[in-house]
Amino acid sequence: MPTRRKPHLEPYEVFRQEKDGDPMRHGGSVMAPDPELALHYARELYGRRQESTRLWIVRRADIGVLDDPDWLQPPLDRSFKKPGGYVMREKLDQARARSGQAKRVAGAGRSKGPEGG
Amino acid sequence: MTLDHGLDPQVREGLEGLLLAMADDEFVIGYWDSEWTGIAPLLEEDVAMSSIAQDEIGHARAFYSLLGELNGRDPDAIAYDRPPDAFRHCRLVDHPRTDWAFTIARRYLYETADAVRLAALADSTFVPLAGLVAKIRREETYHLAHAEGWLRRLAEARPEGRTRLVAALRVLAPDAATVFTPLAGEPDLVAAGILERPSAALADEWRLGLQPLFDELRLPIPGPAADPSTGRTAHGDGFRWLWGEFTAVRNLDPVATW
Repeated sequence: MPTRRKPHLEPYEVFRQEKDGDPMRHGGSVMAPDPELALHYARELYGRRQESTRLWIVRRADIGVLDDPDWLQPPLDRSFKKPGGYVMREKLDQARARSGQAKRVAGAGRSKGPEGG
Repeated sequence: MTLDHGLDPQVREGLEGLLLAMADDEFVIGYWDSEWTGIAPLLEEDVAMSSIAQDEIGHARAFYSLLGELNGRDPDAIAYDRPPDAFRHCRLVDHPRTDWAFTIARRYLYETADAVRLAALADSTFVPLAGLVAKIRREETYHLAHAEGWLRRLAEARPEGRTRLVAALRVLAPDAATVFTPLAGEPDLVAAGILERPSAALADEWRLGLQPLFDELRLPIPGPAADPSTGRTAHGDGFRWLWGEFTAVRNLDPVATW
């Protein structure tokens, strides 16, 4: 007779949609021994009160994780990749200084902060 | 205004040459790779390659700015107001964009060489350079991973991807090591601790580093530069065309304030 083994549980991440058209949002996680039971547990924890129209249940081990700061938060100025574009304030100030012009009051209201748009 | 940094005039001259060479390498490869915008093999790859190209031009901007602090010139003027013959980028990045396999082969050869060069500057006694290199190295780890992934993908894509990749490596082979073309003031830079080791030693280290992956994928490892004396001075018609492109807007009105 085979010996009883403790079931191997592993985490599944659950994403849920509250109503049609909404984005899928991370709801939490469940522990389960296989994908089928993960589906049942997710249903019980995140769907039994009709609070969800759709669930995605993903084995955590199948998720590609990227959290290396060298890839995500490199330390150089990258303001030119933002929709507002290059931070021009410094360059404009230098150009004004070269041409001997003071900063125009009319243009001041349009200047953007360092984060751009 | 220029910053003196207490540098001996000879060392300073060598340092300016080093900064110009690195800035021009990043600037020119950045412009070639930016040509994939809109026509890369996949939409997601289009975004990735365009972003990487922009990163390289950003690195060039940082090197031109540091150079500008030494020689008092405006970084934009250094980048855009020189004739093509005054550029000091290496032959490896002088070749036209060509096809996707060529771009990947070049990117991999360049990124690996650049990584060795940057490592040799990490502890530079010229502190502003060491600081900038520390930031740039962090960003280049992603560039290198991207290039390596594509190199492998193409090498294993038989027959067409591999055929094109091997053909590109053969075209680039005589010029690959020109990243390590010895600089005019190199002995002074090494003596002053600005550059850790001479270019020849860095080239050997780079070639050795290529070996594991190139052997695994059975790709040809490039030999020494065919003509080291013109490694940063001989520019082809392809580059002259590119120069015309990247200076076109500025030359519409060279004295305009942007």
